[in-house]
Amino acid sequence: MASRPANNQLDSPELGFAEIVRHHQSMVFSIALHFLADRSAAEELAQDVFLQLHRTLPSLKSEDHMKFWLRKVTAHRCIDYQRRRRAPQISLEDAPEPVASTHSADPFLERRVRQLIATLPEKPRMVVILRYQEDMSPEDIAQTLAMPLATVKSHLQRSLAILREKMTRTIGEVLI
Amino acid sequence: MNQPNEDMKRIDELMKTALRREEVPSGFAERVLARAEQRPAVTLEPERIPWFHFFSRPLVRWAAFTAVTASLIAGSLHYRNVRREQAKGEAAKQQLMLALHIAGSKLQLARSKVNGIQTSQPRRERETNRSRSKS
Repeated sequence: MASRPANNQLDSPELGFAEIVRHHQSMVFSIALHFLADRSAAEELAQDVFLQLHRTLPSLKSEDHMKFWLRKVTAHRCIDYQRRRRAPQISLEDAPEPVASTHSADPFLERRVRQLIATLPEKPRMVVILRYQEDMSPEDIAQTLAMPLATVKSHLQRSLAILREKMTRTIGEVLI
Repeated sequence: MNQPNEDMKRIDELMKTALRREEVPSGFAERVLARAEQRPAVTLEPERIPWFHFFSRPLVRWAAFTAVTASLIAGSLHYRNVRREQAKGEAAKQQLMLALHIAGSKLQLARSKVNGIQTSQPRRERETNRSRSKS
């Protein structure tokens, strides 16, 4: 199913679209959830992304193109949503409590890591999410976010340095 | 392996675990499909073309260029004609003023002559009456 071309959905458009939604829903929802740290906002945003996909579907040429499009649109919508909400740079204490994962080895540690990620500025946060959730290369992230490769690399390095420092400060004894 | 590399590896693993994909809320796909059905059928949004793109066609560009040039030439010719007519009118006005001036001065001359005749006529009449009484 992963290699299924997008154009196959022309045989039965609605059935094809339903399959596409089920196939990609986890990716889109998770990017939004990790970025916004708000389950209902993430669901609403993910639904909007799929509705936009529904309108744009005929112009997408392949499965890879669709995946690229979904990541790009989700990332930009997340950043726009955050800016519209005018959320100021939040501190670790003010960071929203992330939703606990259902199959976590250490729920406390993961929650703290997500809280730390939520304190990053918008673009570096999205770079980190795409890097670690989607396992994307810096080149792919640069293309998706329409950003110079050097900027992506510097965002990654700086974000990791910040996270590492905060982690050792707040959860160092658990981590090491 | 040294300690910083070990730490980085651990942080990498931790990040990957913390940021793994999550399960969507149940009924997510159904809600998306229901919303999609409420919308109009799948159509590509028409591409908005800026008005000036109309002039990107060579034929249109040439037609516009020709129209602009023709209207410039016609405008300048019309302006020249108007100026010429104005000059003619001005010259005619000057001629008329001169003619009126000449006619006025002639009239003045004629009037003064007529006045001269009228003043000399009673004296003559008196002289003829005096000569008649003597005789």
